[in-house]
Amino acid sequence: MAKKVLNVEDDVDTRTFVSTVLEKNGYTPILAKDGEEGMRKVGEERPDLIILDILMPKQSGIKMYHELKTDASLKDIPVIMLSAVSKRTFLRSQEALTEFGDETVPEPQAYLEKPVEPEDLAEILRKILG
Amino acid sequence: MKEMTKLLIIDDEEAIRKVLTVSLASDGYDVSAAAGGEEGIALFKKEFPSIVLTDIKMPGMDGIEALKQIKKLNPDAEVIMITGHGDMDSAIEALKLDASDFLNKPIKDEALSVALKRAEERIAIKKKLKEYTDDLENMVRMATEEVKRRSDFQNKLITSSNDAIVATDEEGDIVIYNRGAERIFGYPRVEIIRKMNIDKLYPQAIVSEFRSGLERRGDADLSEWREIAIVAKDGENVPTRFSGSILYGEDEVIGSVGFFQDLREVKRLQEELIKSERLAAAGQTVAGLAHYIKNILNGLKGGTYVLNVALDNNDTGKIKGGWAMIERNVGRISDLVLNLLAYSKERKPEPENCFPNEIVEEVCALIELKARESSIEIQRDLDPLLGKVYMDPNAIHRALLNLVSNAIDACIFDSAPKKQWWVKVATAIKENHTVRFEVADNGMGMDKETREKIFSSPFSTKGERGTGLGLLVTEKIVKENGGTIDVASEQGNGSTFTIYLPFQEAQKLR
Repeated sequence: MAKKVLNVEDDVDTRTFVSTVLEKNGYTPILAKDGEEGMRKVGEERPDLIILDILMPKQSGIKMYHELKTDASLKDIPVIMLSAVSKRTFLRSQEALTEFGDETVPEPQAYLEKPVEPEDLAEILRKILG
Repeated sequence: MKEMTKLLIIDDEEAIRKVLTVSLASDGYDVSAAAGGEEGIALFKKEFPSIVLTDIKMPGMDGIEALKQIKKLNPDAEVIMITGHGDMDSAIEALKLDASDFLNKPIKDEALSVALKRAEERIAIKKKLKEYTDDLENMVRMATEEVKRRSDFQNKLITSSNDAIVATDEEGDIVIYNRGAERIFGYPRVEIIRKMNIDKLYPQAIVSEFRSGLERRGDADLSEWREIAIVAKDGENVPTRFSGSILYGEDEVIGSVGFFQDLREVKRLQEELIKSERLAAAGQTVAGLAHYIKNILNGLKGGTYVLNVALDNNDTGKIKGGWAMIERNVGRISDLVLNLLAYSKERKPEPENCFPNEIVEEVCALIELKARESSIEIQRDLDPLLGKVYMDPNAIHRALLNLVSNAIDACIFDSAPKKQWWVKVATAIKENHTVRFEVADNGMGMDKETREKIFSSPFSTKGERGTGLGLLVTEKIVKENGGTIDVASEQGNGSTFTIYLPFQEAQKLR
């Protein structure tokens, strides 16, 4: 059975883009518009991988990532960050959250900056999911 | 050594000539002698004596005629007449001809020396007088020059002053009006001096102050510098800095003076400064735009990818989707570029006949899809009385598009759990040829701090989804079109932006 990949992304074009890459490479796309909806879908669908944007209305990717990685039942789901924000900025934001939450979170499996090449995304998916 | 006084004796009697010559030469005179009138005149012309002794009765030219001619040659010459018996009539005649003195024959030494002494005294006095007169003339000339120099200096000060200087007499008629004034008021001197009064030249606000000062109706204090606008001859509004004063003589009012500094250049420089500040802000914005542009590029890349995949699979639905992505992101880029241009460039309004309500419909149509996707309802409340008017349609379009996009985002970013979001666009025709455009939403709203920042700097609350340009551009466009923009907002309760723009009646096409 095809593996499920959740894309949490507020930009409709990027969602269409990512879901097309996923389908073309044999994965089942699940889509969410923001962190709130994303967390709900994680619980409902139990995806095999999450592709996560950072700057989104309501709940941001920064907070959602932290929640995922500090939840014992969810922290093993691999996460690929896909954002216009640089990797350095994202890591610093996680350090800042750690200082308050006193739990260290690991770095994401992969970090892709927009604009992304579809081939790069497909290759990383293959590497992680096989 | 004292110069010897020259003396001429005219007498036909040789004995008298000889006696006088010898005795006067020994008294220290430089004496010459002639035997008759003609010879005497010739000698006078040659020697130019200051004293002449002449007999009246002589053959040929007599003493009276000689006197006449001598006085003609030198009115200052002292001519002493030597008179004999029965010369009374001639003596009176000689007096009339300005003879100085008379000596009766036979000439007594004593009388002679008295007459000569008197003559010499007169010469000395005349000489002094002449010196005084020359001196006086000199002094008057010098004083005149000094006065002229000073008044030239003052005149030059007034005429060459860069500021306008306008002075009036006590009636308010203009008597001084310099080149600076010509530059500011636009009227040439010939149309002003003694032809116009302050009531016509000055703005009404200061006319009444000058009038009450000139008529001593009150204490007009015009001295404090202030900014006033002058309406020049050609109707141009010239900003100036003004100070004035009422002029007093001993006790009475003798006139008034006004000084005006041209502020056009200052204002121009200020505008220039604002413009360069705006360009600098645009530069800052470009740095902040990087995220926004990365997102657009991602959308374009995604669009081409989706389109390629769809073409490979012959999937018509996906082809449409891919195209829509490309179109949307090309739209975002053109929007960004237009906003950047609108922000950085001076733009003169380009009014034409248009229907503002139709422009609102266009803007709503552009935004409808995005709104529907996020379940935001777009409401319209358009004034049916607002028909065809003469306004700049592109300005209205851009300003409204920016405000409506913001309103939609304010709903999308609202974190309230369950809410029926709406964005309302309203138009209304108001008094004084003004149209009110209103864009309201019930989205997230703004706190005070945010509200204060929105028009002052490229500022975005939308992270990588915003450029921070929208409201800056909107405000600039509204100002360029002579309008005003207002905002009311409360955190959690939405925002309302109101634009007032002036319009003219639609023009009839020829």
